[in-house]
Order: sequence, then structure tokens, then C-alpha cells
Amino acid sequence: MDLLLPSEELMARIAEGDEDAFEILVNRHQTSVLNLIYRFIGDRTQAKDLAQEVFVRVWQAAKSYEPKAKFTTWIYKITTNLCLNEIKSASRRRWFLFHRSDEDSEKSIEETFSDGSPTAEDLLLSKERTRQISEALQSLPENQRMALILRRYDDLSYQEIAQIIGCSVSAVESLLVRAKRTLQEKLKNYEE
Amino acid sequence: MKCHNVQKKLSAYQDRELELREQEQVTSHLLSCRTCREQYAELERVWQTLGELPEVQADPFFYQRLTKKMEEPPKRLFLPVFEGFFQRLRVPVYASILFIGILVGTYLGNFLTRDGLFRTNHVSHPEEMTDFISLRAFDPLPPGTLGDGYVRMVSYTGKEPR
Repeated sequence: MDLLLPSEELMARIAEGDEDAFEILVNRHQTSVLNLIYRFIGDRTQAKDLAQEVFVRVWQAAKSYEPKAKFTTWIYKITTNLCLNEIKSASRRRWFLFHRSDEDSEKSIEETFSDGSPTAEDLLLSKERTRQISEALQSLPENQRMALILRRYDDLSYQEIAQIIGCSVSAVESLLVRAKRTLQEKLKNYEE
Repeated sequence: MKCHNVQKKLSAYQDRELELREQEQVTSHLLSCRTCREQYAELERVWQTLGELPEVQADPFFYQRLTKKMEEPPKRLFLPVFEGFFQRLRVPVYASILFIGILVGTYLGNFLTRDGLFRTNHVSHPEEMTDFISLRAFDPLPPGTLGDGYVRMVSYTGKEPR
């Protein structure tokens, strides 16, 4: 099968039960979906579980999928809804997640230096930087956080973010202004 | 364009979401205004800082794990035959339980206050309790007891009792 087929075309094949098309689609989008969830939730293990859930839903919804918007907009909308649901149910076990998040960010930092090249000092500094950035992100209200992540890391337009979050373009602009202002304050003492 | 207006648009300017004319106006303002330029530089610095958050690496066995998960049968509360039946009945069943609960509560409340343990018109208490709550609690204390001594002490006026 042609690996360069557009995702919309792959979805049409998945609707007919084509597992090869599904595998290509999963491999193409798993990193972006995984990172979107990880940056939003701050827990790597949970992010992996939720990313699987996203693709289960993609498979289930393939027959009803209509390519009205870009495929990434559609899959990010599924991801966003799952993340928001997860945040709601996780509020009951916030204490537990808080501790796991710390542990998790450490693991993730170590993975970024998988060749073992950095010194202990580099690693420590990087861990501290990641912790500060992650905490600042996690402190944002859910909609602001999601809008900012989609803009900063996925480079989506305000129009696309509005479709994913389910609000107007001007609301997205307002969410981003507030999110950036809060981050400026939170990361004021952050040093290069 | 005034500083106040420019500063409101800096976020959208950074995201290249302004219309071309506005984008150019903000650019020319930034070239001439140091305060706004510094604000924009601060915004850019935060944006760069966010870029330092590491990316999670994709799991090479993600697809295998995913297909394994999809092959697992979903967790069921009931036998598949009854599942749809119970799903449809969920709301009426909860409503009935609530209704029966209210009825039973009302009945028990009336029964217990009228004829049962908590009726209020014919109260029967053990003898010690009636002693305690009646005026017998204020009967003179037996002479020579600690209580009698205390009462005599606090009521001492210097005169002999009649």
C-alpha cells in the first residue's frame, strides 16, 4: 500500500476494514497524538493509554467519518474530548497523579538523552527546566492550556483550534492572550 | 497605531493571525517603540522557553499493543444477551428505586412517630431517667454525703438552719 496516501483516503479504506491502512494511519499520527496528551495531562503512562483509546475510537468511527475538515482537526478533537474527560475523572485522584507526574517527567528527560552523552549537571539542569515549564503549563485552565499547546507545538491556526475546542476564533485569541500572560508571569524567573 | 492597541494585538501578531495591513502596522510600530518592542521580546522569550519541553518518543510497539487491546473483549457487567436490555432499563429502574425509597421513607417516618419507637404522645422512659428529668433530682441530699456537704457549704449564711 502507498504509504503517502492522505489520511482521509486511509480513513475510507479503514471504513472497509483495511487493517494495513489503519496501521499506516496509527504510525503517522501516534507521536503527535501522544505528545498532545502528554503536554496536556503531564503523565506519560496515562498519555500512552489515552493515545491508544484515541485510535480505538478512530477505528470505531471510521464508517461514520466524513472528511469535512482536515483529518488532524478531527483526530485532535477526539483527543481533546478524551483529555477533558480524563481531567474531570482524575480530579478525584489528583494527589496520586501529582506524584506520578513528577516521576514521569524525570523518566521523559532521561529518555531525551538516551545516548547517555550529557553530564550529571546537564541532566539536572534540564530536569529542573522541564519541571518549571511543565508546572507552568499545568497551572493554566484547561481551555487555555489546550489552545496554547495546539498553537505552540502543533502550529495550528486559530480557526483550527476553534474547531477543535468548539469555540469562536475570537475566543481562541482571548484564550491565548491570557495563557501567554500567565506563562510570562510564571516563567519570569526562568533562566536560560 | 498607539501602544495600547499594539500591546493588545501582540499575541495575534506573534501567531501571524492579524490581517496583512495590521501586521505591517504593528511591525512598523515595533521598529519605532522601545517599550512595545521589549514586551514583544518577552513574549518571544516565553515562546522559546516552551519549546524546551521535551517530546515523548513514540513507542515502537504502539501498534501491536493497540491491536492487542482492540482484540480484548470489552469488560461487561451483564451477559451480552441482557446488556442491551439493562441499558434501556437503566433510567426507569433508577427512577423507580428513588420513588420506592421516598415511599418507604415516608411510610416508616409516619409509622415510627405514630405507633412505633419514636411516638411522642405516650412517652415511656426507664425509672432512672424519670428521676433525673423530674423535680426529684432536687430532693434534699442524704445527710453526710459529699453532695450534701457541698450544698451546705455554698448555701452557708452564718445562721443555723431552722
